[in-house]
This record gives sequence, structure tokens and C-alpha cells, in this order.
Amino acid sequence: MVDFTKLEQEITNSLSKVTDLESLNECRIKYLGKKGEISLLMKELANLLGEDRKKQAEILNTLKNKILILIEDKTEELNDRNLNEKLSSETLDVTLPVSSSLGSIHPITQVIEEVVTIFGDLDFYVAEGPEVETDYNNFTALNTSEHHPARQMHDTFYVETQTDNMQNVLRTHTSPVQIRSMLEHKPPIRLIAPGKTFRCDNDQTHSPMFHQVEGLVIDQESNMSHLKGCLEIFLKTFFETDKLKMRFRPSHFPFTEPSAEVDIGYTKKGNQLVIGEGDDWLEILGCGMVHPKVLQNVNIDPSSFQGYAFGMGIERLAMLKYGISDLRTFFECDLRWNKHYGFSPLNFPSLIRDLS
Amino acid sequence: MKFTYSWLKEHLETEHQYNEVVDKLTSIGLEVESVQDADLAYKDFIVGQVLEEEKHPNADKLKLCKVDIGREKVDVVCGAPNVTKGMKVVYAPVGSVIPVNQMKIKAAKIRGVESYGMMCSEYELGISNEHDGIISLEQDKEVGSSFADSSGMNDILIEIGITPNRQDCLGVLGIARDLAAAGLGKLKNREYKTEKGSFESPIKIEIQDNDMCPAFAGVYIKNVKNVASPDWLKKKLKSIGLRPISALVDITNYVMFDQNRPLHVYDADKIKGKIIVRSAQDGESFKALDEKTYNLKNGMCTISDEEKVLGLGGIMGGESTGCNFDTINVLLESALFDNVNTARTGRDLSILSDARYRFERGIDPRSTLEGIHYATQLILEICGGECSELVLAGQISETLNTIHISGKNIVKRLGLEITDDEIVLILNSLGFGAKKSGESIHCTIPSWRQDIHGEADISEEIIRIKGYENIPTSNIRAISKVNKDILNNTQKIISKAKHFIASEGYNEFITFSFSDSKKSIFFGEVEKLKIVNPISEDLDILRPSLVPNLLASIKKNTARGIDSLSIFEAGSQYSSTTPEDQINSICGVKYGLSNSKTWRSEKKQFDIFDVKNDLLNVVNYLVPGNKKISISDEAPSWYHPGRSGKIILNKKIEIGYFGELHPRIANKFKIKTRVNLFELLIDNIPLTEKKTTNKPQLILSDFQSVTRDFAFILDKDVKSSDLIKAALNVDTKIIKSAEIFDLFEDKSLGHDKKSMAIKVILQSEEKTLDENDINSLSSKIVDAIEKSTSGTVRS
Repeated sequence: MVDFTKLEQEITNSLSKVTDLESLNECRIKYLGKKGEISLLMKELANLLGEDRKKQAEILNTLKNKILILIEDKTEELNDRNLNEKLSSETLDVTLPVSSSLGSIHPITQVIEEVVTIFGDLDFYVAEGPEVETDYNNFTALNTSEHHPARQMHDTFYVETQTDNMQNVLRTHTSPVQIRSMLEHKPPIRLIAPGKTFRCDNDQTHSPMFHQVEGLVIDQESNMSHLKGCLEIFLKTFFETDKLKMRFRPSHFPFTEPSAEVDIGYTKKGNQLVIGEGDDWLEILGCGMVHPKVLQNVNIDPSSFQGYAFGMGIERLAMLKYGISDLRTFFECDLRWNKHYGFSPLNFPSLIRDLS
Repeated sequence: MKFTYSWLKEHLETEHQYNEVVDKLTSIGLEVESVQDADLAYKDFIVGQVLEEEKHPNADKLKLCKVDIGREKVDVVCGAPNVTKGMKVVYAPVGSVIPVNQMKIKAAKIRGVESYGMMCSEYELGISNEHDGIISLEQDKEVGSSFADSSGMNDILIEIGITPNRQDCLGVLGIARDLAAAGLGKLKNREYKTEKGSFESPIKIEIQDNDMCPAFAGVYIKNVKNVASPDWLKKKLKSIGLRPISALVDITNYVMFDQNRPLHVYDADKIKGKIIVRSAQDGESFKALDEKTYNLKNGMCTISDEEKVLGLGGIMGGESTGCNFDTINVLLESALFDNVNTARTGRDLSILSDARYRFERGIDPRSTLEGIHYATQLILEICGGECSELVLAGQISETLNTIHISGKNIVKRLGLEITDDEIVLILNSLGFGAKKSGESIHCTIPSWRQDIHGEADISEEIIRIKGYENIPTSNIRAISKVNKDILNNTQKIISKAKHFIASEGYNEFITFSFSDSKKSIFFGEVEKLKIVNPISEDLDILRPSLVPNLLASIKKNTARGIDSLSIFEAGSQYSSTTPEDQINSICGVKYGLSNSKTWRSEKKQFDIFDVKNDLLNVVNYLVPGNKKISISDEAPSWYHPGRSGKIILNKKIEIGYFGELHPRIANKFKIKTRVNLFELLIDNIPLTEKKTTNKPQLILSDFQSVTRDFAFILDKDVKSSDLIKAALNVDTKIIKSAEIFDLFEDKSLGHDKKSMAIKVILQSEEKTLDENDINSLSSKIVDAIEKSTSGTVRS
């Protein structure tokens, strides 16, 4: 009769001495392999009869299961130990630098996309016109005759024209898009027209090229109170503050009557302008009711239709919102500037997520 | 337009403080640009007297002065050339602030000598641009007294911006009239005598062209004594930055700024015969009061005598008949000149003058006689003499325009409820003769309002006076949508492309739409793109391409130590100076290191395949769905002939170029290493009429795929695309892909040979391919490639 208690003791002892997976495997073979001690005892069961056989089998099975669990535990223990050894040898200096490969979006593009997002939500479409314009579209159709003093204030760039006697200019504002769009579409019209504009001016606060966005609404009823409502939504959304204060002042543009300039309230904190606080005023845009003569020039009957127009400088919006202090830096192509003031390419202005 | 508060009060009876007036000015459309309270600005400045003056020991151009300032005597180092002993000066003590630059005066050692305070020039005090010397005050000023009080520099100077339509406010009188209408006081009526004149003017006036000059009034004044103006007049002119000259000239200037009525005074003894207002003749020339000689052209309005041109009507008088202190007899002119003609002449001759500025904006015809009478009275008072009867050539229109407006339309335009009665009230306060007549309001437009023509103009008058702040704010969200699409397809493509390209590592630049013709000559027909009045010589054309401006930026950035540059621009380029010839394009440029040497990689320069990859990715992104893209090795002349290509969509549409910049051009731009770039021709990208949201059906095979590699020895000029094409054509169903995975050149391969290896993936949708299938396909592939490339497989 085998002393099972002793056998179990012996196996437990030898397993506890095992220190690597290989010896563990040898151990397993020694007891549970085809010719292992337990396996041989199992075979011997065939020689027993009746109750003895049953009893013996039960004891053997229990012992076998115990050993299996011991081996499993030991395997896990050894695996863990091996892994820990491996981990400690694999430590890296995670402070080593990595680099990002994303480029950047220019602030002008960002601001135009923000403006389009806000006005798109108000049902404005984006119209465009060429940067080289006819003198007629840029001035005459906009009620600015050849000798109008406003025309001299514009510092127009003229281009040499080969054909006929049409004088072409680099558009001095985005307003000629009004003319093109009204000739193309019948009212109701709701559009904005962002784009490049040009004036023969180059100093600290002027760039010969800059960007504007034009707005135009023509229907049967839009009036100055709608203009005010429209600009209020826009300015509050754009500057991302409900506290924004807005002031309309009379002004003059040949293509609107009445005309207004709009100021927004701000204060200066250190070197930064804070929009939406304080009592100082900052001019932000020009606007007004479209002049009846402009409507006549595009064959829209001013006794049936009316509406408003506005125009503002994109650079100015960008400078105020993003704290850019020098207009001329926008076009200086200094990579350091673009990386600092630019935006992630994955940043799409949205009214659902974030505008900026 | 500058004026002082005290001057304004000569025309406006008001109880209001000046800051209320300032606020009101802006709210009625006369935007206040600056307010200078001289009392405040000059409060620290003292009248001083130079007691001693000697050369600075260490500087040739500096002087050491001892200055008596009443309470003490101070040492001042002074650089002004005109400082002399005994001179009365404006002394700025330590701690005072210089108005022109807000500099605070400190005690300082100047070249080793202590200096306390400063003696000021007119420029430093913001009085004029005179900065050649310090101010020399009249000797009667008391040493130690306040400069502001003793010189009358204690007024409030207000500067407003006048929009081109408000010609009526180019005189203090007009500003007062507008303020009175806005409820800030009552307009005062200036009393002056209308001198009848005791004799007939010996100088007759003839207008040859009434379109140029509808009316010309003249008064001859004899036996005047032209003197320095009295203090009140000098002070007035100085207060708005004008330099007093002599009484005769100062009076005309004063009346111009007071009443917006330009006048001119001629030395009558220098006029030969009569005054003739006529068109200039081509070739005539004339020396103006600014001492410049102008060559005149037919159509310009001249004031001439029987011999010569005396002046340009409405613009500037001439030197030959200018008044000086010896002048005895004068002719005073008050005339009307056509605004368009004045503007054109002024522009053609580049003469800016206060008179031109006013005439081209339109002058109140009724001011013609009012102005000449007032100025005549002032001349007689100050210079003495005797005046003639008034001579008037031409006609001053007395009729005023009347328009009919509807209160309902005004309400509809403004979005503000306002009654007809209130409209009438506002218009009357502005000098319009307005009265209700049934449904409409009749308005007589005052002679000084040259800008009012119709109902829209009237609506501005109403809201200006009523106050823009009273316009309510209305909701503009439309009930039904006006627009289907916010962005059109091209706009969407450009926006998507910008973001995608930026995500590939490019930084967006915006460069000028102008370019340098000398550097752009490689990119287009620059002679068709000329700007008539460029801002500078190197920005003299419209850019024929986005490339040159981006290339120019490379140099600027490398100069700042940047060794890796990935930049792009999306914008317009031009093929002529007509609006239709504007092309949308995107250009990306990679220059320098694609990888700097880092702890994990070796450094590597950008190459053509970087830009090819970027361009292909963006094309695949922008043109989704089924398409065929092919690459050809032809590219425009500004690319390296052997290292460039173009992308062709669906066999015929050129959609972009990529490659290395032609080394000759790189050289022109002084770029030393290779530049790689791509151009995406936005306008060529086909717009799908109707976008389908369905993607093509996806067929996935569950049978095992097999990969086989083949290497070939080929002639050097064989293109990889030929290998791939040959392989794919063997069985378009089973051969899922064919890719180049290895390429090398070595002498051992033979002269002008290379080895290229291709990896082919085979997979059937019907069964697992067995050894026979695979072998048979493999040999077909080898055969096909050998045949099409004349190469041999490497075993």
C-alpha cells in the first residue's frame, strides 16, 4: 500500500524547490508524465477490485488534481517573476523628445471660416468675385462717380489693360461682389463675400493687400433694425461674449444711405484689449442701408426692394480676437509667426463644438 | 476739420459742457478724432527769459543757457540755433510732459553738463510743424507767468473727421448749425454790415465759361494798409494750426474756416485790365502761391487777366498777384466753381488746397455774397481803405430744390416708429423747409446741403438727429431658407484642401497677390500683368503663379536659421489683367530637412517623392470614388526636367504638378539646395453634379491570399509603372495588387541597369489557389514583365 500522505509531501516539497520553468516541467513529467509516478499508480488501479479500487481511485484523483493546481500556481509564479525581470530590463527614458508633424492654418483662413460659420447659420451664402475688377463694378455701380471725393480716398491700384478702353483696378473693397451677385440673383438675397482687397498704401498700419468680408441682404423689408440685429448676433458670437457692447454712429459711404460705423466696447488690460468690458470704443465695421441708386444700377426696383450691407476687415477681427498687434506680420511669411498664431488643421470652426 | 470750443461758441449759444458737445458731435456723424485741452496740456509751461548763452564746452552745436523763470534761474542745455540772450521763451520744467511725444522732462546731464528742463519749439508743443528753432515770445510777456494764459493757449481744440458728404460742416458755422439742430443750443446770427461801396470797381469781371464758374463776385478795395493781423485773429488761426501771414491773407483764411467760404485776395495793381474766367489753353503755365510752376491743359478753369493766368479757380492763387505788406489796392474774390472740374484739375496737377477740398465737395452758393460782405467789412476794419460796389459776373442760383417724401417709407427704411410730425420737426431744425401735405411731406433742401437728393438721404438726416441708439434690434432669422448651399463646390474643395495639406505638415502662408516681374518671368507672361502704380518696383505685376512668392519666402526663413520648411498657399494667380483670368491654385513647397538628425533617426532631405505623396493624398481625398489616376513625367518649365511629373485624372484632366524646382530658377532666388514643390490646379478638379452618398459595394474574399515577390534586371530608364501595369494586366480579378518594394543600382548589374523588385498579392474570390494556379500565374507575370520591359527576371 502506497503512503499517499508521504507521496503528497514529497511532491509538494520538490515543487516548492523548483526555480525555473524547465525544472518545473521535469517535475511534471516525473509525477504526471506517461511514465510518471502518479500515472503508474493509476495504471495499477486495474489490479484492484470493488470498493478498494473505487477508494484508491478517488484518492489518486484528488492527489492528481492537487498537483495540477500546484503546478499551475508555480507556473504563474515563475512567469510573473520572469516578466518582472524582463520589465526591469526594458525601462526607457520616456523624456526623450518626439516631434509633431502637423502644419498650421493661417489666422486669416481661420477667421474667415469663423465668419462663414456664423453667417452660414443665419442663412447667408458665400459669394465671390474677382480680385481684378472693372472700374465700373468697383466704383461707378456703387454710386461713386469718377469725381466723387470718396474715390480719391481709396488709393486705387490700376492695372494695364490691353483690350478696349475699360480701366481695370484691383478691387479696393469687397463691395463689387454686391454688384455681381445682384446682377446674377433676384432678391431675396443674403450673402457674405470674404476676400482679398488692395489699396496703394504701405506703412505701419496699412498693408497694400488685406482682407474684407462684405455682407448683403436684399428683400422687401430688411431695415436698419435688422441690420442692428444681424451685427449684434455676429459680433457676440464672433467675440464669444454676450457682454459685448455695440454702438452705431452715423457715417458716410456712397453706396449706403443711411450709413453707419459700428464701435464695440473694450478695455485695455496691460497690453491686451479685452472686448466686452470697459467704456472705450473701437471701430469695427461700416454698414448701412443699400443706396437706392445702387439697386437701380443692378435693375432692382428700389420701391419694392430694400436691404442692408456691411463690410469689415478680416485682419482687424483677427488682431482683436487673437491679440495680434501688427497688421503687416500677416503677410511676412515668417514661419515662427505662423506656428505661433496659426491654428491646428484639425480645428474646424463650428457652432456645435467650438468656434475657435 | 479743427476748431476750438471758444470759436464754436461764437456761433452756438449753449449751456452744455464741452464734453457733452464732443459726445453729440460723434453721435450726429461728425466723428471726433481728438480733443486737446490746451489748458491741461500747457499747464506746466512757463514764460522764461534767456539771461546768458554760451557754447557748450563739449559739443559744437549745443549751448549752455541760464534762464530766468521767475521763481529761480535755471541752467538749460539747448540745441536750437536761434537761441539768443534776452529772448523770451517757453520753458518746460522738470516733470512736465511734452505734448507732441508725451515725453516727461527729467533733469539730465547732457555731454557732461547738468540741464534742468527744456525750451520748446512750436513742434514740440503741437502748435505747428516748425521745429527748426525754439519759440521766441513777444517781449511783453511776463517772466514766470503761465504760457497758456499769457499766450491764450488755453482753449479746447477739437478735431473732427468730415465725411465727403458733409461739405456743410467744413466751417465752424455749419458745425454749430448741426449741433443746434441736435438740441445742443441755439445758432447765433452774426451781425455784419453790407458795405454798399462808394465807387465802381475799376476791374471788370468776365466769365467765358459758365459751366466752370457759374458766378464770380468781386469787391475792389483801395488804399488799404496790409499789416500783421490783430491778436484775436492771429490767435484764432494759430489755435487751429495755421500760420498768420498778413491781415489780408489771414482774413480770407479766417472766413473760409469760419463759414466754409473760400475767398481770394489779389493785389489789384498787378492785374492787367479785366479779370477773365476762362479755360486754360494747352501749353500755358502758371506759378502758384506754393511757388511751384504748373503746366495747364485745356479745360482747367483759370482766373486770368488780359495777359496771364492769375490763379486756378477754386484751387490756388498765383504768385504774380499775391499780396504783401506793400499792397495798396486789392480785389477780393468770392466765386462758385464747378466741383467736378475742380476735382479733375486738382487731381491732374496734384495740388491739395483747402479751397479745392471745399469746392470739390460743393459750396453753398448763398455763401458767395455773405462771405464777400463779411470779409470786406473785416478788411476795412483792420486795413482801412475804401471799397467799391460789388461786381457780380454770372448768376447765383436762388432756387432751392424741393422733394416729396413719405413718412411711411422712412419708417420702413429705418425700422423705427416715428411720426410725420416728428420728422417735420427734425427737418425744420436742420434748416429744411418741411411741411406735411396729406400723405407726404414736402421738404425744401437748404442751400448748404449739397448732399441731399432723395428720401434715403432724408432718412439719414432723421435718424442722425433722432439718434442711432434709438434704432431697435430685430431678429433676422428667416422663417424660410433663402439659400440651399452656403459654400459652393469650389469653396468646399479649397477649404478641405487647405486643412488636409496643413495636416500633412505644411504651414499656410499668405503672400501678396503682387510679384516681382524680374523673378516671375519664368512663370508666365509678365508683360500682360503690369500694375500701373505699383507700391514698389519689386511688386510691379500681378503674380502669374503662387510659386515665386513662396520661393522668395524660403530665403527669409533660412536666414532666420530655419532648416526645415513646409509651406503652402491657396490663392489666385493671374493670366491677364481682366477679371475673368483669375485662376485658383494651391502650391506646396518643401525645403531642407524632412528629418533633422535626432536620437532616433538620421537626417534626411525632402525629395520629390515627399511632395508626390502629399499631392496624391490630397487628390485622393478631394476626388472620392472611382477614378483613374496616372502619372506622367511632363511638367511645366519651372520644374527640373528629369525630376518632375504631373498627375492626370481619368486619362485627360491635368490636376497637379510635382517635382523639384528647376535649378536655374532656384539660383535666381539664391536658394542653394534642392526645393521640391507641388501645384494643385483647383479649377480643374471635376465637380460632381450630384454627390452620391453610397459607396461602391465591398467584396471581401474569404479565401487565402498569397504573396509572391519577383525581381528583375532592367534598363535604367524603365518605369516602375510599366512593371506594375504589366503585372496587373495578367489577371485583373485575381491579382489584387502589385507594388515596388526594392530598387537598387550597382555596377555588378551591368552598364545602365537597375534591379527592381515587385510584390504581387494573389487572391481568388472563388477558391483557395493551389500550387499549380500560383505557379502558372507567376510565370505569366514574369513573362508579361519581361516582354513589356525587355528585362530579365533574377533567379
